[in-house]
Amino acid sequence: MTGASVVSEDRELQVREGEGCYVYGVVPADASNVGAVGLDDAEVHLVRHGPVAAIVSVVRLERPAGRREELLAHSRVLDAFAAGGPVVPVQFGAIVEDARAVREDVLADREQQFVELLAELLGVLQFTLQARYDEATVLAELVRDDPEIAGLREATRGAPEEQSYADRVRLGELVSQRLEARRQIDEQAVLDALEPHVIAHRVRPGASIDHLTDLALLVGDGQREAFENAAEQLAADLHERARLRLMGPMAPYDFVGEE
Amino acid sequence: MTVQTSQRKGSYLERPTPSSLADVIDTILDKGIVIDAYVRVSLVGIELITIDARIVIASVDTYLRFAEATNRLDLYEKGGEGLPEVIEDLQQGGAKKKTSGAIEGVKDGVKKAVTGGDDQDDGEQRRPAKKSSSRRRKEQAS
Repeated sequence: MTGASVVSEDRELQVREGEGCYVYGVVPADASNVGAVGLDDAEVHLVRHGPVAAIVSVVRLERPAGRREELLAHSRVLDAFAAGGPVVPVQFGAIVEDARAVREDVLADREQQFVELLAELLGVLQFTLQARYDEATVLAELVRDDPEIAGLREATRGAPEEQSYADRVRLGELVSQRLEARRQIDEQAVLDALEPHVIAHRVRPGASIDHLTDLALLVGDGQREAFENAAEQLAADLHERARLRLMGPMAPYDFVGEE
Repeated sequence: MTVQTSQRKGSYLERPTPSSLADVIDTILDKGIVIDAYVRVSLVGIELITIDARIVIASVDTYLRFAEATNRLDLYEKGGEGLPEVIEDLQQGGAKKKTSGAIEGVKDGVKKAVTGGDDQDDGEQRRPAKKSSSRRRKEQAS
């Protein structure tokens, strides 16, 4: 599963009837095949065209509905390549006919775009940070800091539901508004702490009541230690109010799309 | 849903390896270069439905849940229980169960990989799912 899996220009990748080429991403043509295991546990190949190469594996077209295993394989392959050099992730689920289609339809048309992206992504990796409030703590903060919330809470606690309906709706509305205001302040504080140590960031949308922030962060090799230390410090500073999870390094999924 | 977590000693920062479906979907769904103009065959049977929550947030029903979660807090000025105990209490079940129950409907992780039809041989199949999911995101952002 090492070295030997490199496909040369003249030895075409075998794609039989009922099979296709699953495309994971694009790397420089001189990237070495890291020997990751792809979808269906298939061997991963590089199909080269000029200065770029596509990471592909042969998959059956007739297949059970894709779910967790496929998603995991997709990210596993990309993360493995990302550890060794720049990689442009392709959106999950892309299958093309064969190696010729990979070269002509995927690589040739966008060769210049891939070359530029790969140059930008040289020596950088993505981290993803999730920050979640401790719900009880943050709700208690709101009650403490906002007399109207505290008053409505007093008025509605233990009162019959029908009688206090309007107050309950108002209470919930206030809590959700104040929570969002607080969240924006806290999110900004997280960004302020991490921004000096990253090349770029994207804020991902979130929805849950305990959502503080979800960030995709592009970190240069030279920044990594300082970045991880800053994240540690942030987690320590916030630990009474929020829980921080840092995932990565991973392929730069959030930094190649057309947003 | 096993999440391997490695952590520095004494650290508050969790460092999980994303292996739960929610983590992986969050990480890769709708991310990356789109090459579907060239797709001959889409990945069969995949339709990801994202039940996105922020739509729900502005509803009366959700306000009532927020109110309930707030009312369930047993703050020190009332029962003589201090905040730390309250939190411990909440974490150990009881009210916590109710609180997370109330909040369940607004979790962002409520995503399901649903099996769709199969044997569609063009790139169209993934598009509706993608479009509707980005539309939801726009709605929730506003």
